[in-house]
Amino acid sequence: MLEVEGVCAGYGRAQVLFDVSVRAESGAVTCVMGRNGVGKTTLLNTVAGLLPATAGRVVLDGTDITRARPHRRVRDGIGYAPQGHGTFAPMTVAENISVAREAAGRAGPEAVEEALELFPRLRPLLDRRAGFLSGGQAQQLAIARALVTAPKLLVLDEPTEGIQPSIVAEIEEVIRTVAERGVAVLLVEQYMDVALRLADEVAVIDAGRVVHSGPRTSLEDGEAQKLIAI
Amino acid sequence: MDALLTQVPIAAAVGAVLLLAALGLNFTFGQMGVINMAHGEFLMVGAYTAFALQAWAGLGGAAVLVALPVAFAVTALMGLALERGLIRHFYGRPLDTLLLTFGVSLLLQQLARDVFGAPNVDVAAPSWLAGGTSVLGVWLHHSRLFIILLAAVAVAAIALSIARSRSGRYMRAVLHDRDLAAVSGIPVGRVDAATFAVGSGLAGVAGVALALIGPIGPSIGSSYIVDAFLVVVVGGLGQLRGAVIAAFALGALNAYSELWTGASLAKVVVFAVIIAFLQARPQGLFSVKTRALA
Ligand SMILES: Nc1ncnc2c1ncn2[C@@H]1O[C@H](COP(=O)(O)OP(=O)(O)OP(=O)(O)O)[C@@H](O)[C@H]1O
Ligand SMILES: [Mg+2]
Repeated sequence: MLEVEGVCAGYGRAQVLFDVSVRAESGAVTCVMGRNGVGKTTLLNTVAGLLPATAGRVVLDGTDITRARPHRRVRDGIGYAPQGHGTFAPMTVAENISVAREAAGRAGPEAVEEALELFPRLRPLLDRRAGFLSGGQAQQLAIARALVTAPKLLVLDEPTEGIQPSIVAEIEEVIRTVAERGVAVLLVEQYMDVALRLADEVAVIDAGRVVHSGPRTSLEDGEAQKLIAI
Repeated sequence: MDALLTQVPIAAAVGAVLLLAALGLNFTFGQMGVINMAHGEFLMVGAYTAFALQAWAGLGGAAVLVALPVAFAVTALMGLALERGLIRHFYGRPLDTLLLTFGVSLLLQQLARDVFGAPNVDVAAPSWLAGGTSVLGVWLHHSRLFIILLAAVAVAAIALSIARSRSGRYMRAVLHDRDLAAVSGIPVGRVDAATFAVGSGLAGVAGVALALIGPIGPSIGSSYIVDAFLVVVVGGLGQLRGAVIAAFALGALNAYSELWTGASLAKVVVFAVIIAFLQARPQGLFSVKTRALA
């Protein structure tokens, strides 16, 4: 579904990613791991189009989208919940969800109902401003907002960061459900236990390079673990 | 006391014009971080649109009414051209944008001088706006009442469409977080252009109102732009309510200091302070934590 091939990217003169290649298949969870500051978010931003790749290609479903602008990529089927559970704080939960569905133009109003079935905790909060949500609620809203664009590829940046265990379990359940429905999930995750429960494939990044990739079972190897240990 | 009261209607009318002018600045600065120095010239274009329709197209008193949609369209298109053709290429470079739009402002003033001549001209109010009514001993020009009403309708329409329409939702989303808006599928560039066009169009409408208040000249925009920026600063970005309060406060200040000479030098100083202020504290004097358009 998604192929990132030899991508380089950075901020100004500071190059962050060096020749990064990652794949995410439909119906599978691909987990990107690595220590703080190694370039995980930078990679996701080049996939979403917020940051240009200075070399290499990003291919979605056989189409080269390396130069496509972010909103085009959403319309092509990339749903992205960036790190830090960002929401449109002055807008209500309902507006947060509907604005993305309308803008993406990929799903009808029924997509809102489907997202609320996955995140029932959001239902009583629909009229509340997103700025007043707790971290866990905001994260669920951020994922719901990505899901109502009916993505072929769901990109999540540390959705469990700083969130209480019971909500983490719910988010994990949603990720599993979405993947089972055939969506490709590209997930950045720092917690080993979460990754071991969710991932089908893993890629480990260190200092802007992919230093390990393979099926989940390859994580049990001590060398790979060392690269992630915080 | 009497003298104070008689100034109320003109203060309110000037406040209404300022409000319309400031809304556009507020949008473009809040959303794109652009300080558009040519915004005042959109007022001037709006005012001359009314003049042209009256003096050249021979529309007489009806010119003012016809000018409202025409001026909106003309200045919205000009704003669109300015954003697409120039400003868009300089996002994130506020100083360059400032200088460029200042150049555009001078250009437009010169163009107005060439087309309409340097001396001030007058636009006659339609006969049904010519009279007035006495309320509590204060003479209320109908044309001033009309301006206040016009601003009220425009502000209500803007507030409603920001709160309820799809483009309003897009605009609020972009205003809050451009990147998040983009990765939610919102065509950020197109929203910018539309916002710029609507903001410029409102300035055009404000210009028509200006033509009802007094004589108009090629540099009429620059005399209002300072106050319009001040409304943005004092009112706070994205704060409709703040803008309304600030606009009418400034309208009053203007009306009561009319006789004070030396005001133009003071304005230059105030303007310089505002620009520096906007660079240092873009959220305005009285900002709330979330930049809600409420
Ligand atoms: N906007 C930016 N401008 C300049 N440098 C940046 C910017 N964003 C990130 N960086 C730098 O790029 C490098 C990679 O950052 P990135 O956010 O991709 O790391 P990460 O792996 O996501 O880290 P974390 O686990 O903390 O989220 C870091 O050294 C960071 O300081
Ligand atoms: Mg990160």
